[in-house]
Amino acid sequence: MSSENNGLLDNLLSRFDDAIAKLDSAPTFAKVSKVGRVLDTARRILMQEGGCTAVASRAAQLEKAGVFVGSDWETPAFLIPALTRYSLQSPVAETVIIEALSELRFLGVANGSYVHEHLSAEQARHFLSQVLATNLAMLFTPPSEAERETQGKLSQIPRAVLRHLAEGIGYEHIIDQLIDEIWRILNQRPIQVESAKQMITQIAICQADPNIELAGSGQGADRLISSLYGPTRACREDPGISVYEQRVEAMDDSARLSEASGFARAMHDTGLVSAYHAVFLRAVFEDDDQLMMEALGLTSTGRDSYLCYRTLVKALIDEAVHPQTPQAIYGLALMLERGVLYHPSVAPALWRQLALILSPFSRERLAMAFGEAVSPRSLLLEGVLCMLGQPLGVGQGNNPTCQSARALSMWAYNDPDYLMQMVAWAARDDEIIMHFEGQPISSRESTGGVAETMPMDLDAVSLLVVPHLDRIYAEMGRRCIGREGDPHRWVNPEFHGWWSGRGFRINVDVATGALMEEEEFLRHFYAAYHPYYNGNQPMIHPQPAGIAVTDSAARFIGWHAITLLRVALDTDDVMRVYFYNPNNDSGQDWGDGVVVSTAGKGERYGEASLPFVQFASRLYIFHFDPLERGELARVTEDELQEVIGYLHRSWGKDRLPAAGALQADSGV
Amino acid sequence: MKKDPEKGYIALLGWSLSAVEAAEKFDRRYVVVAPDWAEEYCNTHNIPYIPWNFERLNDRSMEIAETLKDKGVDVAIPLFEETVEWAGAINSVLLNNPRLLGQSMLMRDKSLMKRRAQLGGIRVGIFEEAHDHEDVIRFLKRVNQTLLKLEGDLNDPIHLKAFDKAGCLGHRVIRTPDDVDGIPAEEFPALMESHLDGWEFAVEAWIHNGKIQFLNISEYVTLGYSVFVPASPELESYRAQITQEIEKLIKAFDIEFGVIHPEYFVTSDGTMYFGEVAYRPPGFKVFELLERVYDGFNAYQASMLVFDPKATDEEVAAYFPKPVEDAKAHAGCFGVYPRRRVVSKLEIPEETENHPYFESHELTTPMEEIVTKRTAFGTHWGLVYFVGEDSDEMKRLLKRQEELDYYI
Repeated sequence: MSSENNGLLDNLLSRFDDAIAKLDSAPTFAKVSKVGRVLDTARRILMQEGGCTAVASRAAQLEKAGVFVGSDWETPAFLIPALTRYSLQSPVAETVIIEALSELRFLGVANGSYVHEHLSAEQARHFLSQVLATNLAMLFTPPSEAERETQGKLSQIPRAVLRHLAEGIGYEHIIDQLIDEIWRILNQRPIQVESAKQMITQIAICQADPNIELAGSGQGADRLISSLYGPTRACREDPGISVYEQRVEAMDDSARLSEASGFARAMHDTGLVSAYHAVFLRAVFEDDDQLMMEALGLTSTGRDSYLCYRTLVKALIDEAVHPQTPQAIYGLALMLERGVLYHPSVAPALWRQLALILSPFSRERLAMAFGEAVSPRSLLLEGVLCMLGQPLGVGQGNNPTCQSARALSMWAYNDPDYLMQMVAWAARDDEIIMHFEGQPISSRESTGGVAETMPMDLDAVSLLVVPHLDRIYAEMGRRCIGREGDPHRWVNPEFHGWWSGRGFRINVDVATGALMEEEEFLRHFYAAYHPYYNGNQPMIHPQPAGIAVTDSAARFIGWHAITLLRVALDTDDVMRVYFYNPNNDSGQDWGDGVVVSTAGKGERYGEASLPFVQFASRLYIFHFDPLERGELARVTEDELQEVIGYLHRSWGKDRLPAAGALQADSGV
Repeated sequence: MKKDPEKGYIALLGWSLSAVEAAEKFDRRYVVVAPDWAEEYCNTHNIPYIPWNFERLNDRSMEIAETLKDKGVDVAIPLFEETVEWAGAINSVLLNNPRLLGQSMLMRDKSLMKRRAQLGGIRVGIFEEAHDHEDVIRFLKRVNQTLLKLEGDLNDPIHLKAFDKAGCLGHRVIRTPDDVDGIPAEEFPALMESHLDGWEFAVEAWIHNGKIQFLNISEYVTLGYSVFVPASPELESYRAQITQEIEKLIKAFDIEFGVIHPEYFVTSDGTMYFGEVAYRPPGFKVFELLERVYDGFNAYQASMLVFDPKATDEEVAAYFPKPVEDAKAHAGCFGVYPRRRVVSKLEIPEETENHPYFESHELTTPMEEIVTKRTAFGTHWGLVYFVGEDSDEMKRLLKRQEELDYYI
């Protein structure tokens, strides 16, 4: 670096500090007029060598001064890594810069130099690795013609920032970490796989580019990439849909059989389905049931379902499976495996779904979210198959609608025909009516849900049904205003289903937010759910429960809705609670050694689990059957103190926030 | 900041975020009087606010004065040209001094203003009112005859200005009868002035109890394009003479308190010609420039201080810095006009951006691609700010910007 450059950078930095100080001292309403100068000076600094380091070292001051106030970047915990691509490539300098500042802030939090109130180091590192994944191509290649055209000199900045982030985290780890990350997410078998697909595509692009030196990393990506772009021998080199169609036409029986099992293996390995798989199924589904069952990867239960309902299954494939909607295949296969078709009302409900006339509003929303290449009805059917096949793969997206996502998941799991009834009402009639203590609540009449805007980042079923559920849920909450105690006592059973216990227990005093009746609460929970204390009774129905989510530093983040699914011994003979978390990624570090496991401890796809003791320490609401209420469990004092220890070291440590609000937190 | 109930309670007439910010951080109570579009913003941010639409003074003018009086407001400060006569009307009630209204009307009419200055023994150029195109042609001819120009010589230009608009709005330079045809009829009546070759500058003077408390000289590099403060040493060498001129103006207009913003020409022989005077903060963000060079000084707070009838002489004297001496650098700004007819994006010229004096800009990405042709001095697309030590370099830099494309 020449001394002249140094002089320029120093000059800019003193101006930058001055601009930050002006912003800091401005009253909130006047900040908007000071931010421009901060951002513009930051832009010029980021153009200089050493600029990123200089800006990053001021991350805490920048945030404190209010550079993010009033924008989406104000709440870093809710930012979505996939969106960074758009802001970094924006033609508007302010957008690029504020994104850059925000990412440099994450770096500070990730490496511990900036202790952030609402963001843990793990969260920050996690976020950054996804940001780098999403923008891998930008990291390794010079600006494209299009970028130069729209951004001009500005296009240097995202590159400089990404390079700085990558250096901060370590290049060689990025790709491998990213691959681990993708596997970890996929192991939870989410219904929505778009972001995983995008990250895999980025890795594939980097691997194919001879200019990018990956230094031996990225080897573990082969299965991921091939599952999307070349799962079988006949499409190994990603020949394109029409070429592959011709190849299938020309194949003999044994080649087809090998294709079928190749597809099935890839799909069940990853939970991802290749577009070629859809092409294959559409090409062969008229002729050969054996081949179909092989291509779906069915076991004996699934084969039996298939053969009992082959007309329905073929109709479903014809309507829902297209190269643009390959995930429908996975949903279908798992649905057949679950045997839910034997439930008498499910098959006719699927026939209704096949012929459902969607309202113009529903069609529009589906087209807006997923494009128009496939008919809205097919998109919705794909969504229904996926939800029935993967009830624990429902995610709430970036919306405060954990209650609605939980309800959908619970119905898909426990009451599939009821779920389809809801889908029909929402998609066809634009209205859902539920009853609360005998009074009807229409989603059309009650306005104002927990979510302030219509969520878009959801699977097709949630996209149509959640806005209705959200309004009804909020309305039920409103009807409890004035009652003493927590409204979930009444809302949960009415909202989720008859099987939610009418008995209700909470360990937080709603008025003061202070803990109450800790020991009794725990003994009662043990008595109702722990097999050693409830007469070895496995859980029968999924039950709604409330947890206090904490971050990796065990600090309270918010109240969150989950579903209790099972309590059982794991392979190490530890009693674990298996639960469903509507948050998109259940694998979370809740601090103080409480790390939620999603695989390897006996979890089924989509389940999260914790040892009973640790789980109990984060629980604040549970339901039970009041008629079955027995004696409080005589839990040993040691075990009880262990739970209370976890509780007091985390969210129970300080004065607690009021627990009166509905569980609207999206969790983290 | 904590408000001192012993000190004045001030009404700000018109919406200016910088003024509100200054008031919020000052120890005096304040209330914003602005059109109702400001209401939501004020309510959201807990800014004291009274809705009022400033049109021409009318029968309802007393209403706002009474409202403010009932609230206990001591004085009203005009932030824009359009609110000057409102401040006069309101202050004549609040301060029980009917003359203030007449004084403000003088400030709002460029023609009356010049006559008053002339009566006060202040030197002004030749001027006349124009009611139609004919008047303009006649004035153009007569001015050039006076200058002994022959048929075919290049005319000296004349200036045409709206009576009651701020700064350069509606300001046209007329050289030929063809230029006269381009004047839309709705711009009449207007004021015509002879052109003076010389150095144009402006002054901002804070006056308390009829005395100048602080006098800043703003140097124009090119009128309508660029200004910087404090002025260069060459212009500052006239400070004593300029101070005398301002004192004449204070006397002629009978100004007891407030901020005035007059414009002058100084010709090559050192003669000062009065251009016009405004009773409000100057345009081109001169207040912000002053804040940038005088640490701890806020021109809006200074204005609130000199307007406040409860401010003491000691408090006022203690507030102001020493002109020029206390300034840590020169701060200037340049108003950007697109130079091309079709533009698609904003790109700060590289030489500007890399200049050590370049500080910031408030330009935005263009919304329209076709640039409307500029007939009068119009509204610039945004300002670019510079800060640096050397006034010669500042002048060169500001001048140079006129040749650069910001919008391409």
